[in-house]
Amino acid sequence: MRFLFNTGRTVAQGIGLDRKSGTEYAGATSRCMMNPVDMMDLDVESGDHLVVRGPAGEVVLSVVPAEGTPRGMVFVPLGPYANHVLGGETHGTGMPDFKTQTVEIEPTEREVPTVTELMEEIGGVAYEQGARP
Amino acid sequence: MIYTDMVCPFCGCLCDDVVIETEGDRVVRVDNACTLGTHKLMTTRKDRLKGPIMRDGAGGWRDASYEEAIEYAAGVLLDADRPLLYGWSSTQGEAQGLGVSMAELLGGVIDSTTSVCHGPSILAIQEVGHPGCTLGQVKNRADVIVYWGCNPTEAHPRHMSRYTTYADGFFLQNSFRERKLIVVDIRKTETASIADEFVQIKPGGDYAVFSALRAIVRGRGAVVPPTVAGVTKEQLEKIAEICKSAKFGAFFFGVGLTMAPGRYKNVRNAIELVDELNRHTKWTLTPLRGHYNVYGSNEVFTWMTGYPYAVDFSRQIAFYNPGETTSVDILARKECDACLIVASDPGAHFPRKCLEHLASIPTVLIDPAQTVTTPLCRCQIPTAVTGIDASGTAYRMDGVPIHMKAFLDLGYPTDTEIVGRIFEKVKEVRHP
Repeated sequence: MRFLFNTGRTVAQGIGLDRKSGTEYAGATSRCMMNPVDMMDLDVESGDHLVVRGPAGEVVLSVVPAEGTPRGMVFVPLGPYANHVLGGETHGTGMPDFKTQTVEIEPTEREVPTVTELMEEIGGVAYEQGARP
Repeated sequence: MIYTDMVCPFCGCLCDDVVIETEGDRVVRVDNACTLGTHKLMTTRKDRLKGPIMRDGAGGWRDASYEEAIEYAAGVLLDADRPLLYGWSSTQGEAQGLGVSMAELLGGVIDSTTSVCHGPSILAIQEVGHPGCTLGQVKNRADVIVYWGCNPTEAHPRHMSRYTTYADGFFLQNSFRERKLIVVDIRKTETASIADEFVQIKPGGDYAVFSALRAIVRGRGAVVPPTVAGVTKEQLEKIAEICKSAKFGAFFFGVGLTMAPGRYKNVRNAIELVDELNRHTKWTLTPLRGHYNVYGSNEVFTWMTGYPYAVDFSRQIAFYNPGETTSVDILARKECDACLIVASDPGAHFPRKCLEHLASIPTVLIDPAQTVTTPLCRCQIPTAVTGIDASGTAYRMDGVPIHMKAFLDLGYPTDTEIVGRIFEKVKEVRHP
């Protein structure tokens, strides 16, 4: 199904902002909030996984019911997951399509990747540091 | 130790009434800050890099000295034909100023996170002006508040308690009852659920709704159709009446306008609605700025170059053309051949297409902690966090400069010191 891909802030995303290597941040930014009626149409339940396809590629997210989200739209907290499907078009303004991209969404059995896996997929090299006391 | 009247280094509210208690070099208690600020202050030591790191050339990482990392950063910038210096929003004004001077000497491009945030708001302000005021005026006078395309409950959690809905106002008897709250959004957010009036617009309909409101406020409501972008004319007329009968109205908006179709034209129409309302009563408009010092980057860049962000020095003069000289466009076109990122995380917040290029060029990151950008860079230099272990200047979202105080010493150099040392190396080769 086609959806309008809306991204933005949430408190959980903001809390994770300064500790982005943590699992909390990955959990907070890999959520896909969807109207429950759309979830019925897709035949998915809360926590199921979805594959989202946009102009730059695809990413697996887990679905969360959100009645405030209108039908035909999904809301994804801003972060590496949401941006993994976005292209670089700015329509001459410098601002990419963070809230105006149309994406294709379908259920999947695949796992939600880690943030490190996402970065490695685009050419990054993972860094692991021992935790500070 | 208990530190009072501390400034929170999270969002553009720059709350300056925070109380922080420390034991040794640990923060044990934070009072008055919101969830976001408290979390940042309490966990400040976690995930900080111990020292600079560099790629080891064998598919991994190695530790490096500050001297070596600074030498590398300067070398990368000097070797580049079109270096991009990006970020600058979560750092002190002093470092921003040095960044501009260095970009000029290098003939590079300097851009702040503004370009993926309120850049379009600035384009609109450059077209039709900014009817702004300080947040103190809003707190003490405003009896009608509009939040349009934003969700302060999640993004600026203390905005409503410090400056609007829940704040006591000097010229209001009973602030909570007297202030009307109008929320306009495309989805029903937490903020919308406490609004006196919630207007739900169909995505992409902001411009049309502004135009309809302007027509009604001007007395030309007859031209407005029965519904505009999913909003009934009846509700628009009600909103227009509330706005016109305000004693002092404050219009706040977020990236819901700058990222929606129409971009800066939405903001221009919002400013022109405020202009229209000022023919009846007093109204002001303020963008809700994200990073605690993103406004500062616009101030510093403007007073040094004449332009607020996306400044290109490749012509030996300051040149500014958002859409061309903005970071996302430069990266998407694979134009820059080196990148210095200071105090921001494009790895998390830029579209994938831009990151693919960022990972393929020598990128140096100056940031206190391991972030999503870390795997994409070749070298990272950790620094102190302004407002925690470094002091410096930051600008609040209403343009008020505030001195950020330090209360910890964790032994890290400041952003100003590191940028300054890189700049010194650059100057040795390329004399000003």
